[in-house]
Parts: sequence; C-alpha cells; structure tokens
Amino acid sequence: MKKLDYDLIVFGSGIAGFKAAIHASERERSLKICVISKLHAMRSHSVSAEGGISGVLYPEVNKDSKELHAYDTIKGSDYLADQDAVELLAERAPNEIKYLDHIGVPWNRTMEGEVEERPFGGMSVPRTAFAADKTGFFIMRALYDRILENKNIDIYHEHFVTSVSIEKKRFAGLTAINIGNGETVAFKGKAVIVATGGFSRIFKFTTTSYSTTGDGIALLFNAGFALKDMEFVQFHPTALVPSGILITEAARGEGGYLRNSKGERFMARYAKSKMELAPRDIISRSIMTEIKKGRGFSSDEYGFEYVNLDLRHIDSEKLSEKLPMIAEITKRMLKLDPGKDLIPIRPGAHFTMGGIDTDINGRVLDSEGNTAKGIWAVGECASVSVHGANRLGSNSLSQCAIWGRIAGEEAAEYIKKMSENTEDKKFMEHAENEEARLNRIIESSGKNNPYEIKAELEETMDSHFFVYRKESEMKEGIRRIAELRERFSDIYLRDRGRTYNTNLTNVLEIGNLLELAAVTAEAALRRKESRGSHSVIEYPERDDGNWLKHTIISKEGSGMKISYLPVKILKWKPEPRIY
Amino acid sequence: MKASDYMVLFYASMVAVPLLFVLETILIAFGYLKFTGIIEILTALGLLVYCMIGFKEVYSQKKRSINSLSREVTVSSKETRIKHGRGEKVLDVTVKRFNLGGKRLEAHTYKVKGNRFTTVLDALLSIKSEQDSSLAVRYSCRMGICGSCGMVVNGKPSLACETPLLDTAKEDRIEVEPMRAHPLLKDLVTDFDYFFSSHKKIHPGLFRENKKEQMNATSIYNQSREERDAYLPFSYCIMCGLCQDACPVANSNKDFIGPQALSQVYRYAMDSRDQKGPKRLNLANSLEGAWGCEFAGACSEVCPKGVDPAAAIQSLKFKMFAGEDKISD
Repeated sequence: MKKLDYDLIVFGSGIAGFKAAIHASERERSLKICVISKLHAMRSHSVSAEGGISGVLYPEVNKDSKELHAYDTIKGSDYLADQDAVELLAERAPNEIKYLDHIGVPWNRTMEGEVEERPFGGMSVPRTAFAADKTGFFIMRALYDRILENKNIDIYHEHFVTSVSIEKKRFAGLTAINIGNGETVAFKGKAVIVATGGFSRIFKFTTTSYSTTGDGIALLFNAGFALKDMEFVQFHPTALVPSGILITEAARGEGGYLRNSKGERFMARYAKSKMELAPRDIISRSIMTEIKKGRGFSSDEYGFEYVNLDLRHIDSEKLSEKLPMIAEITKRMLKLDPGKDLIPIRPGAHFTMGGIDTDINGRVLDSEGNTAKGIWAVGECASVSVHGANRLGSNSLSQCAIWGRIAGEEAAEYIKKMSENTEDKKFMEHAENEEARLNRIIESSGKNNPYEIKAELEETMDSHFFVYRKESEMKEGIRRIAELRERFSDIYLRDRGRTYNTNLTNVLEIGNLLELAAVTAEAALRRKESRGSHSVIEYPERDDGNWLKHTIISKEGSGMKISYLPVKILKWKPEPRIY
Repeated sequence: MKASDYMVLFYASMVAVPLLFVLETILIAFGYLKFTGIIEILTALGLLVYCMIGFKEVYSQKKRSINSLSREVTVSSKETRIKHGRGEKVLDVTVKRFNLGGKRLEAHTYKVKGNRFTTVLDALLSIKSEQDSSLAVRYSCRMGICGSCGMVVNGKPSLACETPLLDTAKEDRIEVEPMRAHPLLKDLVTDFDYFFSSHKKIHPGLFRENKKEQMNATSIYNQSREERDAYLPFSYCIMCGLCQDACPVANSNKDFIGPQALSQVYRYAMDSRDQKGPKRLNLANSLEGAWGCEFAGACSEVCPKGVDPAAAIQSLKFKMFAGEDKISD
C-alpha cells in the first residue's frame, strides 16, 4: 500500500472541485493540495453542461438586478431554497463569470465585445452567459489548464475513492484504488473538500454521464453524515430519445418550441406567459400530461413515448453559432437536421437537488446539525440549499464556481490555523482494513450478476419514482430496492486482475447507487405534498403549513433516521407559483 | 482552411521552388547570373522526397489493418445472447484485447445486437454487462464531449460513443482495437500519462502580467467576435488522444510532444486576452515541438471535434519564420 500526505484533499474534479483547489492554492501557496478523480480529471461530468452560467452582468442593459435573480431562483425552487444561500449566489455569480473570462473561456460575444447573455427557463430576463452550447466543457478546459500552472496542486487521475476516515468527528484521510495498477493508496489529509457530483445514474433514462454515481454522497452517508432533500430529482424536459442525451434548455432560450402530436405549442395550456421557458419541473410535468392524454407520439423503434422540439424556424446561422453541438448530436445520433426536422424528446433525470447537508459555507453537518472538522462539500453533491425543490437552468454552474471558491478559501484558512495532526497509526489501520475489504470484493464468487442488479434498479427508479409519483408505486419501489440490495450481497466478479479493473469500480459504484436510491425512495414516500420536482398524485398541492421544511436523513444502524429542518425564509414569503 | 488546403499550398510551393531554380539556371546560362544554385537544387530535391514520404505515411495510416500488427493475435469466440426487436441486427464485434500478462493482443469475437441508434460504445458496454464483465473500456459522457473512449474502429481512430454500430460494420462485422501511440494498459485502455505531460509541458493556461487582477476579476476583458473566432476552433480539443494515435511522427518518435499539445500552444497564442507573447511560441520552437511535425495531416483527418491541429502547427511555423517568437528587450 502506498501512503501519501497532503494538507488538503479535493475529492472530485468537476468545476466545483477544480475551483476549490485553485482558490485554496491561491490563498495559501505553502499548502500541499491534491485533486483525486476517478476519471481523467478533465473529463468530469461538468463537461456535459451545455446552456450556460447565470449571473447579472449588465443590470442596466437587461433591466436586471441581483435581487431579481434571487427572486427568480427562490420562486423556481418552489420556496424550498434557503434564502440566505440564494442571496449569496446572486451576489457572487457575476464575479465568477468574470473570473472564468480571465482564465480563457471563449464566451459568445456581443457586437461590442461584451459577454452575451441568453434567456433561460424561469429567469425573468436574459442573464445566462454562454460559450455556444458547450459552456461546461469550455469552463472545464480553462480550469484544467489553469490548475496545471499551480505548482502546489497534484492531480491523481483514475483513482477511485473507496472510504473516508473520520476520527472523533474530524477528517483523517481517505483510501483510493489506483485504477491503473490496482494498488490501494492511503491519502492522509488535514481537510477534504468533497465535490463528486450528483447521482442521476440511479435512473436509466438520464442525461448524465456514466460517472454520476454519487460516490462522495454515499461515502459520507456511510460515515454518519446527513443527507438533505434527497427526494428532489430534476427531470430535464428535453432529453433526446432514445439515448437520453441532453438537448440544452438554450434550444428553447434561443426560441425553440415544444409541440405535441397535434402540432400545438401545448405549453400555452400550462404556463401562458413563460411558455417554453417555464421552469423545468413544470415543463416536464406538462410533457408527461400531454403524453398521458394521448397527445404524444409513440414509436416502437425509439421504445418511448415522446413529444417534439421544433427548431425549424430558427435561422441556420443562429443555430450554428449558438447551438452547434445540438445540431451535431441530432444529425449524428438520429440523422435529423434541426433546421428541417422535429427533434423527439422526453423528460430524463438530469440533476439531483438533494445531497450532503452543509451550512452556507459548504461545511458538512452531521445529523445533529453540528459541523464536522475539516470536511466541506460543494457542487451538485452538496445541498446548501440553493436550488430547493427545483433548480433553474444555468444556476448549477454558478453554484459550483461560487461554493468551490468559498470552500477552497475556508479550508486553506482552517489548515493554516490547525495545530495538531490526527494519528498516523489509526488511519493506517483503517486503510489496511479497507484494503482487505477490497480484496474480498475482488474475490466475490456469489450467484448474482451486479450489472443485472444495476439494470433492475434503473428500471425500478424510472417506473416508480419518475416525474409523477404515486404512493402505492413508491411503496412497491422501496420493496424492490430492498430486494436488490439483498441480492447485491451475493454477487460475482469476473475480473480478478489488478490492472484497470473496472469490474471492481463498477461494483463499488453500484453499491453507492443502491444506497442513494434507497434514501431517495424513502424521502419521496414520506413527503406528502407536491413541491417542485416532487409530484405525488395523491397530494397534488404544495402544503406550506406542514411541508415547508427540508428532509434530513442519516444512517442509524442498518436503517435511516429521518428528521426535518425549517427553510430559511428571509425577504420572499411563499406565494402561488404561476408562470 | 482545413489542413488539406494547407497541404495543397505546401505542395504547390514544392513545385514552385524547383521552377525558380530552373529559371535561375537559364539566367546563368545566358550569363545574367553566376552559378550558385547547386546546393539549393539539392535542397529542393530533398524536400520533394520528404513530401513523398509524407504522402506515403498518410496513406499507410489510413490502410492500417489487422495484417500490419506485429503482435501475436489469437482468436476465441464467446456465447451469444440475443433478444429480438424491431430494426435490430446481430453483429460480430471483434475486440482486440490487450493482455498485460501475455503482452499481446487477443482477438475475441462477441455477438451483439444493435439497431440504428446503437453506438460502438453501447455495444462494448453490453458485452461488459452481459457477456464478459472483465472487459476494460474507458468511457464516461457517451455524448462525444469528455474524450474518454478513443479507440480504433475498423482501422480508423474514432470515439466509440460517436461511432454508429450498423453503419460502420462491414458485412455484419466490426473490429475494435486500442490506440497505439499511447502505451497499452489493458484491453482497449491505454495509458495517457505521457500525453498529459506533453500538454502540461507547453504551459497552457491564459497568461496575464497582472496575476492579482486576473485571479480577482471584477471586469470583463473586451474581445470582439473576430478576435474570438481566431482561436475558437482550436479550443474544441477534448484531449481524446486520437490525433496522437494517427500521427506518424508521434508513432515513431517518442519525444515529439504531439499535435494535441501543439494545437493548444496556438490556441492560447491566438487569444487576444493572452499576454505571454513570444514566450508562448518559444514553447513550441524545437525539434520535439512544431519543427518535428512532418505535415502528414492525419491528426486533422481523425479529430472528432474538427480542431485541425495540422493547420495550427503550420501556422506556428509561419509565426516562427516571421520572428514572432523572438523576445525583444
């Protein structure tokens, strides 16, 4: 086993993780920092973000204000967002866009050479900065190129983290498999920033990368920390049929229509004023309602019922300048030309609003609400909560950029002040136990194929916890997940080698997904109202009297401990959500 | 302009240079000049030979096939598992798996069903989950933006997630093998350490003299659309490594830093916000850098994102010719 010592460990290498490492390094040059990624670090799921990043850049030109950005976000969240966090988001977002400009993101520009902003769902005015429809990719490349210039940051590509060691509520280190050679590596550290992204891969029909398995969330949950609002999963209205690949909301921001089988722009029925630019939860429900009422399309070949996205009226120059990837993808995958053909889409799992419970600075909280020493969580894996029950498009990239910086700078200060270290001996004991556990997993020769279990989990989540949820179906779903977890305890591995054993890492991922699916299902069944992305047929209305609160779930024995936490309401009192 | 256009220009100049020398010879014959051209004529002939080698390399790159493998190949066949559905077809997918223990490639053939939406990556992942879960593949986003799944499909360096199974198959067969310019690790997975270290060596990252201002930005740097268009095509690089795999120089000279890294020197050099100036070009001014490029153009042929590294590298050479890499005091 290899042992490495660092001051700060950044676990995850998306936009939030890279930002955390860079700002910690800028704050304190003497720190030894590492970034650990289970992929090549620059390939994290942040690269798939398409539409843009929100932030009020030109208040005079767009008749915009930070206050309006905050209001839109809170209304979009169906009033479940913590309003102090949302104010922080609106306040800091513009400077993050400027920072990204300074490190090389190729923004689309106005004729005057300023950053162009486009309209986005649920936003009152255009305030989403963008670089074509590859914004996340361009930000990732700029950050990666930037991070290579910081000499005190080491990057560990393809290291899969398997456990987090906590000693007396304090971070001690973590263990990882070096995927390349199968060696167990013990990373001892003074502080960790978890930035591992969401867990939309509990679903089958999803827009996200294969890598979005919520590893950091599951590890902290198992280490005794609390998860927040796990029932809220965003279904993006326009996932391409049949692959689930994302067709950005910017397609509608740039003027695209949604049409049912009668050719109607059906959003007129559900959101008269915002139409196709209503928030995502509302559009996803509208699409499913249209399909249910027989106004969708069905195709054996696609294997799905769907509606169409219509971009035919948008001129081709605009398409190639602002939505080049969409055209590339539809042409390649379906041989459809968005300038001439309708694009088949339906809602797909896209973003998990829930995650690790943190305070406003990203510090991780235990089930009693106490902050742990030396642990931060940022980006999609964390629930600050800035998105509440439904995230507005383009707020995720600002969230990642902002809280990456906050946690990085805070962690640097924390380490500077820290006097004594955690014990070496105890941590190495932990690491050796972990190595033994991994060796046992590699040797597994049970009777179940883990990939079959994963496929069944995905189908269960798609059929029982989709856009519309029903109590009886959720109960059945919970029963099935429990059964799958039972079967997962008796699996086999085919690959017993050490070199690039993705059979092993896949199994660890499936374990994480099963854990998170169980929490999501439990949280969903318990919330007896419809709010944001969580719609229960039996309880069609939002119930502020009983349910204006966050769900907090932590581990208790082999079961779960569930409690609730009031939402921080400041300026904006809950009101009906009409668009 | 694509690399191929530059190539036409380049070869045209190769014809023009000897013609000039012919003219020179005539002038000498009529006594207008003294005879001084013999060395230059030899140089021109040398350049012509060099071009022919370049052509041959591009050609052989495209022709690369199973027969050219130097490593031993063994063949085995796996059990079939087929479900029936509309528009589906069953294909033979041959995967050349690298086995570190045996240090050789083994060809395994699997039956995989697919329809017109199935990609080569889908096929490989279905083999992994249903037939042999020990198969090693690197993959993530499945939408052609993360750059993980570079491999050689039917002889062509491609992203597996962007390659349709049925359209690419020939007589219901498809052959998948790992890239070669990167060291082999396991099955279809190759080691990117050297590739990433080359990228790091050219110090990517937008440089500003006032770093404090850069890191605490409170304004936007103005940049016109024209200024943006100058570097935008070169910023599409997803670091998939396919250009490196296709490059004949990178395949034979392990010190060559390669088309990917060089294209990124050009990308930042052309960004109006960058202030590194001549120092940036200097990073590419060596035999392992831009001058190592023999202009085969294969990198631009295979780039799945249309980056055109060949054009970037020739432009770097022009800039160096023009002395833009000289640091003035």
